[in-house]
Amino acid sequence: MNGTPRVLNRILIGILGAKLLVIGALLILLATVPAVGRWWQAWSAGIWGAARGLFDRTRFPGGTESWLWIVMVLLLLLVIGVMVAWLAQQGKGRANLLVAEDDAGDVAGNVRIGGGVAEQALRAALADRPDLAGATVATYEFAGEPALRIRVQPRQGVAPHILAAEVSALVEALDAVIGKRTPVLIHIGSGARSRFGRAERVR
Amino acid sequence: MSAAAERHYDDAASPEAAATGTQAAAVPGPGADPGARPDSALTERVLARETTSSRASAAVIAAVLVIGLCVYALLETAVRAVGQPPWLIDPQTAAEKAIALPAGVSPLLLGVSGAVLCAAGLFFFLNAVLPGRRARHVLADPRAAVVVDDEVIASALARRARLAANVTQEQVMVVVSRRQVIVNVRPTSGVPLRATDVQAAVEAELRDMALSPLPEVRVNLASSGVIGA
Repeated sequence: MNGTPRVLNRILIGILGAKLLVIGALLILLATVPAVGRWWQAWSAGIWGAARGLFDRTRFPGGTESWLWIVMVLLLLLVIGVMVAWLAQQGKGRANLLVAEDDAGDVAGNVRIGGGVAEQALRAALADRPDLAGATVATYEFAGEPALRIRVQPRQGVAPHILAAEVSALVEALDAVIGKRTPVLIHIGSGARSRFGRAERVR
Repeated sequence: MSAAAERHYDDAASPEAAATGTQAAAVPGPGADPGARPDSALTERVLARETTSSRASAAVIAAVLVIGLCVYALLETAVRAVGQPPWLIDPQTAAEKAIALPAGVSPLLLGVSGAVLCAAGLFFFLNAVLPGRRARHVLADPRAAVVVDDEVIASALARRARLAANVTQEQVMVVVSRRQVIVNVRPTSGVPLRATDVQAAVEAELRDMALSPLPEVRVNLASSGVIGA
């Protein structure tokens, strides 16, 4: 429901995992197979020689240090910035408004209904049910439009389809109040409170 | 919009629903046609996302790892760029040590660090490649997208099996996986119990739930009973 970039996550995690695997396998081979050690020394010495030649050619005029170090600092800063941006994408997507539309009436202006309306109404409706250990409601923006996520934690032994039908009836009542069908996700989950709380015996 | 309100008049499930229905009828609806189910594609996408893992935790670990490495490399590079002595190791010395690698480090340390890196790499790689299904089932509902944790299904089925078998809560254990439900019952000693009864009850409950994918039920009766339950 939230806006976590899943494909990007998979790609970046896959790249990192493949790199770590290759480096780890190389280290293991270096430690165990002598021939790999000889190959590695010849191969990496060639690369290092080329890199040193590059550093020698890019010295500051009159100085001893290469300006490539500064380029590397900038590159590293860029990578850190990209990683922070990637972190910021995880779990984003909370929205504030449930409805923001022109009401097409005589009065100029928009109609805006905050997500808090739906969240508080549903939470209040679900609050004193004896078969629930907890309920949370949140507004997310999914595919460009606001959507509601209702997470209920039933006590042990509660039939999920009956609970889902009852919550869904509440959602339809909410539809009638707001005047718009919002996409709704009902997640019937279990948590510590439903696992260790008392079971519901009478209903 | 109005169709939703009218449906409420028909059910008249709760007085509050009826009251809100009158209110909604007075407000001109800001364009929406609920009859056509325009959001079914959206619902499919929501359900697909909710039944698979987002890999956010692996992503956070990976990003923090890369940021840490980069910050250290940045420190050493910046120190080098302004011509100061290095903090831990000069980049040039590090590169020369890496080139000489099998020499200079004990093979045991090298092999173990390689194995650790391999394990970490495997964790990230498998996280990215495997489908990452969550232990959840989708429940059919006309209005909302509904997902149920397998644990909730298991506890509901356990209650039903317990009532059908007439045993106590501790004598029933239910394991729910994607395509299978395993019901383990320990009967009370001296009280006959038929597996088919339990099976029928659990299957009826599963049919009512209308899960997708629909798991099949297997009932195991323990050969030894419980005394005094």
